[in-house]
Amino acid sequence: MISVRGLSKSFGGQKVLDGLDLDVARGEILAVMGPSGTGKSVLLLHLIGLMAPDAGEIYIDGINVTRLKERELLKFRRQVGYLFQDSALYDFMTVEENLSFPLKEHTRLKANEIKAKVEAFLKMVDMAGAGSKYPSELSGGMRKRAALARALVLGSKVLLCDEPTSGLDPIRSRDISMLIRDLSRQHGCTTVITTHDVRNAFRSADSAVVLCQGRAVGRGSEQALRGLTDPFVKEFLE
Amino acid sequence: MFILSVIRDTIASIGRGAVFMGDVLVCLLKGRVRWGEVFKQVFEQGVRSLFIVILVSLASGAVLAMQGRVMMERFGAKEFIAQLVALSLIRELSPIFTALVFSGKSGAGMAAELGTMSVNSQIQATRTLGVDPVEFLIVPRILACLIVLPILVVISMIVGIFGGYLIGVHEANIPSIYYINQTIRCISFVDFFTGFVKMFFFATLISWTCTYKGFFTSGGSMGVGRFTTQAVAMCYVGVIVSDTILTKIILTFWGN
Repeated sequence: MISVRGLSKSFGGQKVLDGLDLDVARGEILAVMGPSGTGKSVLLLHLIGLMAPDAGEIYIDGINVTRLKERELLKFRRQVGYLFQDSALYDFMTVEENLSFPLKEHTRLKANEIKAKVEAFLKMVDMAGAGSKYPSELSGGMRKRAALARALVLGSKVLLCDEPTSGLDPIRSRDISMLIRDLSRQHGCTTVITTHDVRNAFRSADSAVVLCQGRAVGRGSEQALRGLTDPFVKEFLE
Repeated sequence: MFILSVIRDTIASIGRGAVFMGDVLVCLLKGRVRWGEVFKQVFEQGVRSLFIVILVSLASGAVLAMQGRVMMERFGAKEFIAQLVALSLIRELSPIFTALVFSGKSGAGMAAELGTMSVNSQIQATRTLGVDPVEFLIVPRILACLIVLPILVVISMIVGIFGGYLIGVHEANIPSIYYINQTIRCISFVDFFTGFVKMFFFATLISWTCTYKGFFTSGGSMGVGRFTTQAVAMCYVGVIVSDTILTKIILTFWGN
């Protein structure tokens, strides 16, 4: 479903991604782990075409994302849901309007159908009745859940989550991790989650990849990764 | 080295601004205009600046008449106060005062709103939702500015002339009918034309500067403050400097 080949990106001479290769199977939930500054978020921005690589290619469902022009990217992104680290809900819209926005933009659904769909998604993320609230009136966990609902409302085939547990307490972190897992399964999404929260990464993901200096140094299930002898992987997981 | 880096940054910034305006023009030429958003912005920008434009225009018309009265009386020509007030406001003061007030209120508002959206990833989120942020956020604001500023300038002209009328009639004791007649008789098409040319230029300059600065804001909440201040300062300098150049051009071609 997702195939990354030789992806490289530098900022001001500093190599953030260094010939990264990565494959994610259809329906798989993959956690991309690593300490801050190892290029996790940069990888996600490349996957959705918000950043152009210095070298390498990315294929999502057979489409070479790195070759798409801006208008083509806008069309392509309709099938990819993106959960931002800071939620990035429109603060001038209510939660309901935030969820309705992509539906109004890209579907021909009638107003009552959009309303019904939004209510169903809000219920799915346990936010029924919070549709009339503005993002500033919500807690961090609620904002994340609303943003997750917005990311999935168009029926995305791919879900990209950037540090979904950052800024949340351990209970909310666990809840959002489980919610990502449940919704990904329910909607059949291929999901990539970047995080440095090892415990919650394995709560939501089928497998994980550990990045170090822009390269993948370990890949597999929790058990497989804990069995690796690479000193960096060992230190990071502990 | 420092000068070279400043020159390089300035050229890069101008280039990026030109590309940004190019994107706006492409949207306009291809008819990708969200009129619902435009009218929402017209209302917001208009309401933001209306009260202060009225207040400033009333005061400037009145002050112009007061100072005009002192000078005109020295030459025994106080009946020309009406002409002085009307021509000064229509040709020069209303466009420039309104542009400055609009920059400080609506321009700063636009830059701060877009800047906050930029640092909170809302502009990137727009892209991830498959929507062009220039089409959704920038084009409506620029078009609204081009609609609102002329309306505000006309209001400023009328209110300013009324401010002058109050002083002229009640303090300088010029008969009301005479004052009104003098005002109407002295204004020609060229006077309006010069004011409107400036106004459209200022509207483009302010909307471009403020949306551009807001759109490319970085550096968190401090960045929002810094970029907004830069936007307003650039508008003030741009309006005043370009006014001098435009006045010279206009007087050269339509001086009479």
